[in-house]
Amino acid sequence: MVFTSFNFLIFFPILVIVYYLAPVKFRWHVLLIFSYFFYINVKPVFSLLLAGVTLSTYLFTRLMDNTKIESRKKVFLIMNIVLILLPLFFFKYFGQINKSIISLLESVHLRWWLPEIKLILPIGISFYTFMAIGYTIDVYREEIESEKNLGILALFVSFFPLILSGPIERAKNMLPQFKSLKKLDYEMVVQGSKWMLWGYFMKLVVADRIGIYVEAIYNNIPFHNGTSLLFASTLYPFQVYADLGGYSLIAIGTAKILGINVIQNFRRPFFATSMSEFWRRWHISLISWLTDYIYTPLSFVLRKYGIWGIVIALLITFMISGIWHGAALTFIVWGLMQGLFLSIEALLKNRRILIEKKYNLNNKILYILLGICLTFVLFASSQIFGRAKNLNEAFLVYKRIFTTSGPLFIGNPSAFIFSIFSLSLLLIKDFTDEFIPSGFLLFENKHKFIRIIAYSSIIILILLIGVFDGGQFIYFQF
Amino acid sequence: MTGDSLFIFSFSIMLIKKIILNLIIVTVVVLVLDFTIGRTLRHFYFKETSGFHFRTTHSMEKTEADILVFGSSRANHHYIPEIFEDSLKMTFYNTGRDGNGIFFQTAVLRSALKRYTPKLIIIDYYGEFAKNEEAYDGLQSLLPYYRTHEEIRKFITLKSSFERIKLISEIYPFNSQILSIAIGNLEVNKKRYDDNKGYVPLNTVWQSKIDTISNYQIYPVDSGKIIALREFLDLAKKSEIRVLVIYSPIFQKFEKKQEIEICRDICSIENVPFWDYSKDTLFINHNNIFRDVQHLNNNGAKIFSNLIVNRIKNDLLNAPLNRRVEQKH
Repeated sequence: MVFTSFNFLIFFPILVIVYYLAPVKFRWHVLLIFSYFFYINVKPVFSLLLAGVTLSTYLFTRLMDNTKIESRKKVFLIMNIVLILLPLFFFKYFGQINKSIISLLESVHLRWWLPEIKLILPIGISFYTFMAIGYTIDVYREEIESEKNLGILALFVSFFPLILSGPIERAKNMLPQFKSLKKLDYEMVVQGSKWMLWGYFMKLVVADRIGIYVEAIYNNIPFHNGTSLLFASTLYPFQVYADLGGYSLIAIGTAKILGINVIQNFRRPFFATSMSEFWRRWHISLISWLTDYIYTPLSFVLRKYGIWGIVIALLITFMISGIWHGAALTFIVWGLMQGLFLSIEALLKNRRILIEKKYNLNNKILYILLGICLTFVLFASSQIFGRAKNLNEAFLVYKRIFTTSGPLFIGNPSAFIFSIFSLSLLLIKDFTDEFIPSGFLLFENKHKFIRIIAYSSIIILILLIGVFDGGQFIYFQF
Repeated sequence: MTGDSLFIFSFSIMLIKKIILNLIIVTVVVLVLDFTIGRTLRHFYFKETSGFHFRTTHSMEKTEADILVFGSSRANHHYIPEIFEDSLKMTFYNTGRDGNGIFFQTAVLRSALKRYTPKLIIIDYYGEFAKNEEAYDGLQSLLPYYRTHEEIRKFITLKSSFERIKLISEIYPFNSQILSIAIGNLEVNKKRYDDNKGYVPLNTVWQSKIDTISNYQIYPVDSGKIIALREFLDLAKKSEIRVLVIYSPIFQKFEKKQEIEICRDICSIENVPFWDYSKDTLFINHNNIFRDVQHLNNNGAKIFSNLIVNRIKNDLLNAPLNRRVEQKH
């Protein structure tokens, strides 16, 4: 069951009614049952894996809490991380490693025929595994106590709004909320509904519309000219933003209606003026996870190397981020590019600050605009590796962008116009939220009439130009 | 329990009333907008005078042509009406529509048969029998007809089990169609495409090398598609219409294709002629008569239509109904 399925539109209201009718002390039971029901509906057998990860995490964190010997604690920590990472590695990377070995053997004419095993990646495994690892490390660091109630921990790992594509939440935020679930709060219900509505708009109207165009181009790279490839590559970051950003908003809104606050995952990333700022606005939950559990410890270990230690830590962190996205070389290159951009920024940071102060650049619109454009170009150029099926395809895109020209491929004119229209709406909203937050309000307008017209118009827009067939969340594959 | 609050459930009745009231207000506004916009779209959809919506409406509700061609884009771009009409002295309409498979075609045939009985039906079957969601997504083309065409409803419900509920919305059947409907109502649209009794010519030439498929791929078959093809053939046969299944030329080299094998077997069981042009040397590897891998251009369509017309005259019209079945290879 996914958020954009009709089943979810039946599932969620039933859950809300049952949840709020249940006495407070039983509400987490309701959430746990519904969360597992939600996940079982994706593929029943995968819920066993989810239960396994939960049990292992519960067992080892309890053992950690019950021992005072540091070395033993560390053993439990490592054992749990290895145990819960095993299925992730097996399902996510086995196929790719298999392929790489076969192509390596083939290249030296030593192909040993092995039957191909096609594994379906258990949906959401990257997300709940990271949540479980984060919790384990937090217990090890004694930032939180291990959860004694297995059910509450199971709910944290399987909480249905977050399980398929995040945000990757932290135990210290979620566990206390599950233990003291709030009573029905009108403001939270309204805010959650608004986020859900805008999330659906982002996903169905923006992401899936743009996706049709990008797919038409990227599925036939050799047949498209540089103009079309450049345009599709420019659109792709917006597609990913609307897709994962939309999913995240639906997830956060869903949780909010249930009285649970979840971390925001995106904050108008395309108005960032530098790559470091961009990564504080894009996929925030993943980046903050990587910062806390990989980058910070790494840069601590490498502190004796000064700025170069930071550079190495950045490169390793973003390479891991790339590998998290997938075992393909394209993702590793993508991650390394992010690390490289951030490293260059870190190396030039002091000089940049000096120049900005000297010429008072931070208040100059042209400078801000230049920063926004440059950040977007850097990110979009790296996303070519995120979208291409392999390195050859990515290099072909670059080559064709710089060597071929011609008219822009339009494809279906309606779909093209809808893409541009919906993207414009999204960017206008982000622009007003970023620069004039109190100037142009629709969902937050003080007049009820305008608010109702705004909600209704978005629903009508979704009905009119939303894509209801074949849309899939990009981050389900991760 | 106190005044307006159910303590055990920890929510106040006033709060519930407020939420429900707001929900009702939004729902009413949405329903009013949905009704108004949806009805307007419906009105203009059925007033279109050109374009693919118009052609589908014409196929389902108006045509009384002697010969009907069914299929997807390959049917639409491969069969030229004049060639059939001039040579066979029968009226002709091409119902082919881009991206629509056997479910759509069987539904259109059902609607046409409710009104009249054509003399000859050609189904250009680019028969892929694989299980894929897209085949069912394509049924969206039939949504505008759900309300008025009871005979096609069973196909629409194949799209999803919730389709009946979704169709409560007046806008939903016209999802993503607003611009096409606007354009279809403009006179200028008639000049944009050479829309000739359903046939839409393609005019460019394919530049790339021939596509070669070396291995015989076996995929899981969607039984629903087989049932739909058989239903299509049975419907035609029951109405005593001559029916002919054609696999038209393709710019691809291959030894065997599962879909062709399946199609040939079904035609053999149904005792319907199956004419396979996938390896015809008149077409294969001739770039100048193809627009892309799947489609002939207008020049190719002329050659192909003449070939089919001659074969119909020689093989089909001179033979008793549904007797000539191509020999199994």
